[in-house]
Amino acid sequence: MRKITALRAIVGIAAIALAASGCTADGPANSDTVTIGASLPLTGEFSQGGLDTQRGYETWVEMTNEAGGLLGKPVKIIVKDDATTQDTAVSNYNNLIAKDKVDLLLGSQSSLLNIPASAVAEKNKMLFVCPSCASPDMFSRGFSYIFFSQQAVASDQAKVFAQWIANLPPDQRPKTAAYPALDDPFAGPAVDGAEKILSAAGIRTVYKDQYPTTTKNFDSVVNAMKDAGAEMVVQGAQFEDGVNMIRAMNRAGDKPSIVYQSSSPTYGQQYLDGVGAQSAEGVFSSASYNSIAKTADNAEFVKRYEQKFGTTPPEDAADGFAAAQVLAAAVNAAGSYDDQAKLADWLRANTVETVLGPLSWNSDGSPKGDFLVGQWQGGVSQVVLPTDVATTDKVLRWQGGVI
Amino acid sequence: MVSLVQTLILGLLVGALYALMASGLTLIFGVMRVINLAHGAFAILAAYLTFTLWRNLGLDPILSIPVVMAVMFAIGWLVYVLVIRHVRGAHVSMTVLATFGIALVLEGVMGFIWGNTSTAVRTSYTDASLSLGPLYVPQAMLITAAIAALVIGGLYLLLNYTWTGRAIRAASTNEGGALLVGVSVATVAALTFAIGVATLGAGGAMLSTIYPFLPGTHYQWIARLLAIVVLGGLGSLPGAILGALVIGVGEIAATNYLGAAWPVAVPFLVIIIVLITRPQGILGTRLREDAVA
Amino acid sequence: MTTISGASRLLDPRLQKLVTRGLVLVAAVVIVLFPLSPSASAQNTVILALVLAIGASGLNIITGYTGYLSLSQGAFVGVGAYVGAILATRFPDVQPMLWAPIAGVVAALIAMLLGLVTYRSRGPAFVIITVAFLFLVQFVAIEWVPITNGTAGLTLPLSDWPDAWGNWPFHLALVLLLALSLTLTWWIRRTKFGMGLIAIREDEGKAGTVGVNAPVYKLLAFGASALFVGMAGSVYGYYLSFVDPIGMFSIITSALIVLAVILGGRGTLFGPVLGAFIIQPVNNFANDTFGGGNARLVIFGGLLVLLVILLPKGILPTAAALLEKARTKGTVGLSGARLNPLDRLLAPADVRPPAPTGRTLLDVRGLHKSFGGNHAVNDCSFTVPEGSITALIGPNGSGKTTVFNLISGTMTPDRGEILLNGERIERLSPWSRAHRGIGRTFQITRLFREMTVLENVVAPLREFSVRQLGLGAVSGSEAARAEELLEFVGMSAYRDAPAGALSYGQQKLVELAQVLMLDPKLILLDEPAGGINPTLIERMGDLIRALNAQGTTFLLVEHNMPFVVGLCDPIRVLARGAVIAQGTPEQIQKDPLVLDAYLGDDYLLEAPSQSANIPVVERNPA
Repeated sequence: MRKITALRAIVGIAAIALAASGCTADGPANSDTVTIGASLPLTGEFSQGGLDTQRGYETWVEMTNEAGGLLGKPVKIIVKDDATTQDTAVSNYNNLIAKDKVDLLLGSQSSLLNIPASAVAEKNKMLFVCPSCASPDMFSRGFSYIFFSQQAVASDQAKVFAQWIANLPPDQRPKTAAYPALDDPFAGPAVDGAEKILSAAGIRTVYKDQYPTTTKNFDSVVNAMKDAGAEMVVQGAQFEDGVNMIRAMNRAGDKPSIVYQSSSPTYGQQYLDGVGAQSAEGVFSSASYNSIAKTADNAEFVKRYEQKFGTTPPEDAADGFAAAQVLAAAVNAAGSYDDQAKLADWLRANTVETVLGPLSWNSDGSPKGDFLVGQWQGGVSQVVLPTDVATTDKVLRWQGGVI
Repeated sequence: MVSLVQTLILGLLVGALYALMASGLTLIFGVMRVINLAHGAFAILAAYLTFTLWRNLGLDPILSIPVVMAVMFAIGWLVYVLVIRHVRGAHVSMTVLATFGIALVLEGVMGFIWGNTSTAVRTSYTDASLSLGPLYVPQAMLITAAIAALVIGGLYLLLNYTWTGRAIRAASTNEGGALLVGVSVATVAALTFAIGVATLGAGGAMLSTIYPFLPGTHYQWIARLLAIVVLGGLGSLPGAILGALVIGVGEIAATNYLGAAWPVAVPFLVIIIVLITRPQGILGTRLREDAVA
Repeated sequence: MTTISGASRLLDPRLQKLVTRGLVLVAAVVIVLFPLSPSASAQNTVILALVLAIGASGLNIITGYTGYLSLSQGAFVGVGAYVGAILATRFPDVQPMLWAPIAGVVAALIAMLLGLVTYRSRGPAFVIITVAFLFLVQFVAIEWVPITNGTAGLTLPLSDWPDAWGNWPFHLALVLLLALSLTLTWWIRRTKFGMGLIAIREDEGKAGTVGVNAPVYKLLAFGASALFVGMAGSVYGYYLSFVDPIGMFSIITSALIVLAVILGGRGTLFGPVLGAFIIQPVNNFANDTFGGGNARLVIFGGLLVLLVILLPKGILPTAAALLEKARTKGTVGLSGARLNPLDRLLAPADVRPPAPTGRTLLDVRGLHKSFGGNHAVNDCSFTVPEGSITALIGPNGSGKTTVFNLISGTMTPDRGEILLNGERIERLSPWSRAHRGIGRTFQITRLFREMTVLENVVAPLREFSVRQLGLGAVSGSEAARAEELLEFVGMSAYRDAPAGALSYGQQKLVELAQVLMLDPKLILLDEPAGGINPTLIERMGDLIRALNAQGTTFLLVEHNMPFVVGLCDPIRVLARGAVIAQGTPEQIQKDPLVLDAYLGDDYLLEAPSQSANIPVVERNPA
């Protein structure tokens, strides 16, 4: 019984300490700067994308401040690491809004993290411009503050590519296709969208499966695809899994004539280093971005990015930059950021010019537009479709040879 | 038929790597009754060390194995002295928590030092295969299997033909008796733990050439390794080898015949099924504390 | 007398009680009213801490009380969250908070499934299974896409109450659940059920022999451990407005829950809550200050390791022990006190053993038991008449303890039958046999060391019924009966002493009291006179005689021949696993087989103890 009283004493003291910490209000807002808050996966499975996006944000902040800031005020950005964990992303956004009292928000990287993060923004009636929210699930919730700053959602990611393949003359078209995809709200729908179009064109699906995020050994998946005799591989990937798939295909001597991977090939030099120039040759991908395109502020962006980080901006960095451009456009148009519902309404009614090209949105925040289709050729990422904006007129098979 | 043979080849080869990594775990459990939940994290650490040697000194992973094993031995000894020693005789929950804590610390430290992006070692053999007609044998895996045989063979010789090995076996079966005949059980325990971690030096080094890894990968590995030693019988080295081969083949077969999502579940299903139906595994002996009265 | 100094006044129990009651009240008020705080992030921390506390409080029941370490407690938060989310998306017009009870029940059922696993695994194997179980549940959540939406997760609608209410509904719901969970834990600790759980933790085998139906107890404990956790999970999912397999079934959550229990002190009421309220802010702090990921891992991993090495008992028990030490400095414990002679003679000289009814209570037929190549029991057959005090004697290694184990259910025979009152019991579980009236003591006493003497005696379960389980352990009819029994054996002064502190002889008496709690028809005593001083031997004899006079049958294993001869009538002699002779003490002493196997040719029966009337027998010439 005395034990219990001692215990209770200590419980009491601890609770009081906690209470004391809770009595002080969160930090006061600073009205001389515009503070933007974002959570990103700087560590964990999606850290490559997170880091690239962070660089995109930072480049934008730097360039904007040099040009006079946002609404005449200097811009500050606070980035928190969510370690590719959804709980932490939610916590981070809660803290950014309540504790750090940020004025504006920018999204995290990957649909996985942005699905819950956007709910926090919605609850707090803050605009949520999201550089990587491609999952269709994001837009079926009736949210009004979310906007995806790329050209299309995941299910349409591979649309342009699939339509082009479907329209090839029968003797050039592959007869069979394999659809391995990462079990992910973005990668899955991307491949499903492609399969719908391709199978309707008569290309037989001989393999379709989803592998978990933790998969590192693709030998068995490749084994199964090779067994099934697929002439074309359409993979829903994020980054690493794309690299590992290619390496496994090489090991197994599996050589389909057409290889498409979502996302992974857009990681620029990282991807090249990962698979090797020869294996990268001919890999198709949908791209939201191309560094030599003549889009708004792109030249300066590329120059500044190369200066700061020593490499051409990869897609995630450009997506981040574009998200910030969208946010700034809305804020500039409205003249303030107190009523963020107004910002949302403006975006729904207007088009914003970004490094990705012009972006505009449906009422649910999903973008209206089409992706570009890129292909690695000779160590350079070229745009091949749509043909009117293509940077080259060659289209290759995987590992060389013209289609 | 070809597909079946190919599956077997891949499964057995990957099983060899698993066996190499599981050998240390089962040794540690057999001698000290400690379930080393940090075993996966140590393996990843060895992989990172190999990667650093490869990237900064251009040292081929195979050649770096002796160095990495020596370093892992030292780290194992250090961890034993700092942590494991204090919980060795305590209730199982304490040892489990202590080793889990070590695993978390290792994961965090590795993240700090090497970052959290996926890493892999690329050499001439990591992406190449030998062809045998319609079949292919990935070179890195073949080399790994050879190294696994060497290291496990060496471990077996150590345990059965040296005085040290006999001391280890004595301490594992009857600690009190071993003390009485002059075996310094404390030193033997430290030695065993260090040897168990050292085997990961070879395992981790070869792992770096086969799988990409990042600090968070250790969960996957420890689940797999636990399944292996549980299946083979906690404390039995031949059991670990057998269990590793079965699980290796099982995972590859599961991908082929069930789907890519299933290999993830294989270790967990194995653990639960084995521990419920035949807790001593295939080759192990029934532990008294596990027996239902 | 000692002067009361300022320090000892501080240690005065009554003052302490008052002060701590006050502090707990303040703490409770603070926690309940926390949403009044202007800091939204602190509110968030408290909500998360409440969820953690509920998880930890639940885990306390199976880890703290029952002694099974589980690394899958986080899974039940996830299960609760998923059930809530699934129902909320299926029935969008219903307030999601109302699904909490269903979520709790589902979590409890799944936890009971996990409890079933413990029938075959304990110790390290069980811990490994819980890890596998957690990942398996995650796997199901990922793959069962039609129900759970796989990796995309489920989004819940945003809360639809007025903005002004803020976080109050979530907060109050969780506070209520925590209060319920603590009440359940507190109540369990006070009942026979709780005693049984702790008995299982201390010595599961022994618990079985005193009627504790371990499998059912464990099943109930697992269910209880997850019920409120599942409900909290459902509220938590609604709060996050998003559930997904990776976040909800992360092993880190389970690790944090275990950490909270151990940090605070497992088995204590408020320890897990304290642990949770320390860990959650540290978690947040690590996230904010060091930027997530790696720092958090190093901090918690390091904390776990340090805790295990330096403070394995946790904060509250360690603090309590320190306080206790300070208070009892200079005082003397009870164990050294001499055993006082009983105030009244238990068995006056004219106590007669009951008239033999002629019926056989226990019938052992053809028992066989081997361990590997060793036939410990080899075709052993004998009977125990009702109302007798029968002895089973024989050389070491003759299989006596094994026979006892077979009768009490600690082992099952390879062949043979055991009948109690004509009913075959050789395949029944130990507790079933205990419920049918068999009680048994052990040669090396097996008390539940961490429990007090009184709790030890309350733990046995006479018969299985839910009502029995709910009976109070520290007060009420069961406790009163236990006190009676303790007084009977002469140990009532030690009522509140921890059983582990007693001497061997004292433990034997308490073990006897435990057995008597079962109201047994047949008591098996394994060397009751072994290793204790003559006064105590006498008392044992008196106790046995007194109980026998009231109708209890005894079967003793003993080496102390005077004791046996003075007390027992039918004697069975066991050698090499089989009965070689049976009869009265006089017959046994003359039996050449017995002399050859056990007593020895020059055996001389010395004068027996005073309270029996047995004639002295002359030396038997070789």
